[in-house]
Amino acid sequence: MDEELTWVLQAQHGNDEAFTKLVEAYQTHVYNLCYRMLGEAESAEDAAQETFLRAYQHLHRYDQKRPFGTWLLSIAAHYCIDRLRRRKFSMISMDADEDENTLELPDADAPNPESEMMHSEQREHLQGLLKRLDGTDRAAIVMRYWHDCSESEIAEALHLTVSAVKSRLHRARRELAGLWQDDHPQPKPERRPHESPAF
Amino acid sequence: MNHRPFEYWLLEDQPLTGEQERELQAHLRGCTSCAAIAESNLALHSTRMVSPAEGFVSRFEIHLARQRKTARVRQIFGALIFVLAGLALLYWYASPFIRDVMSSPAGWITSVVGYLLFMLTSLQVLSELSRVSFHLVLDFVSPLGWFAILFLVSGLGLLEALFIRRFVRTPQGV
Repeated sequence: MDEELTWVLQAQHGNDEAFTKLVEAYQTHVYNLCYRMLGEAESAEDAAQETFLRAYQHLHRYDQKRPFGTWLLSIAAHYCIDRLRRRKFSMISMDADEDENTLELPDADAPNPESEMMHSEQREHLQGLLKRLDGTDRAAIVMRYWHDCSESEIAEALHLTVSAVKSRLHRARRELAGLWQDDHPQPKPERRPHESPAF
Repeated sequence: MNHRPFEYWLLEDQPLTGEQERELQAHLRGCTSCAAIAESNLALHSTRMVSPAEGFVSRFEIHLARQRKTARVRQIFGALIFVLAGLALLYWYASPFIRDVMSSPAGWITSVVGYLLFMLTSLQVLSELSRVSFHLVLDFVSPLGWFAILFLVSGLGLLEALFIRRFVRTPQGV
């Protein structure tokens, strides 16, 4: 039996120390998902704390056949999607003030600070684009690219079918690329005779 | 080759063979839409995890302790309100009765005994009635008839059980 499952079992029997170990192990994963979903450090902290509280309260419902990490990410993703939905209803604009939030600073130990700075800018820009996606699409993208979840894991976490995840990922990536293109306009190449008329 | 397969390769984000990679690179030079997908792919692949601020676990422990305290206080208040409401209801319901008992205890005892006697007699009459009607029904239907009725009822029960089982699915775990 692996260590994680032991902690889960102990936590299910009321051992708080074991649950603390699980929080320690998964804090970055859960926080990162919340941060990518909500785009603010403060909201992400609240959401991550709430995720662990919910996990603690519903630990008896955890199915041991599923990976614990995916279960936690599922709780976090649903919580963040709900928050985004509520935000939408309360008509608070995310764009204006949230763009000022700090993201990752360039790594000072990186071999090439200039290229690191460029990557950092790209990542910051990407975070801005993520905010424009639909909540569930955003969750799917974050789980796929930040957490290396498979399509079936995402499907399980978001209560979707694998084909729905696939089509959501495709749609979200197309949308991201469109937004990327809008922000980085490139000179339109001349159409070559053998290519599709659309391009 | 038209645009679609290249877009599909990019969206699928799976490893390509050397030949496919060369074809894709050639296509990307002329297709802005695929180039945008490729660039956003690169950006997605260069993403990093963001860690929470130092002391996340201790903040969680404080949060959990606060949550538990709130839950406990809520439980205590809930129980208190329940008990008080119960007592108030009991007092409201029983106060005329208590007043009667206090005013004439002998009259109250007589009425209680009378009530008990009435209940006892009623029960005796009911049991006698049910015994007589049971015998009447038993004699009314022949033993073969009883067998047929029991067979029919058990058959219907079995059918219902099978029908329900067909439509019931075990619930999925969270």
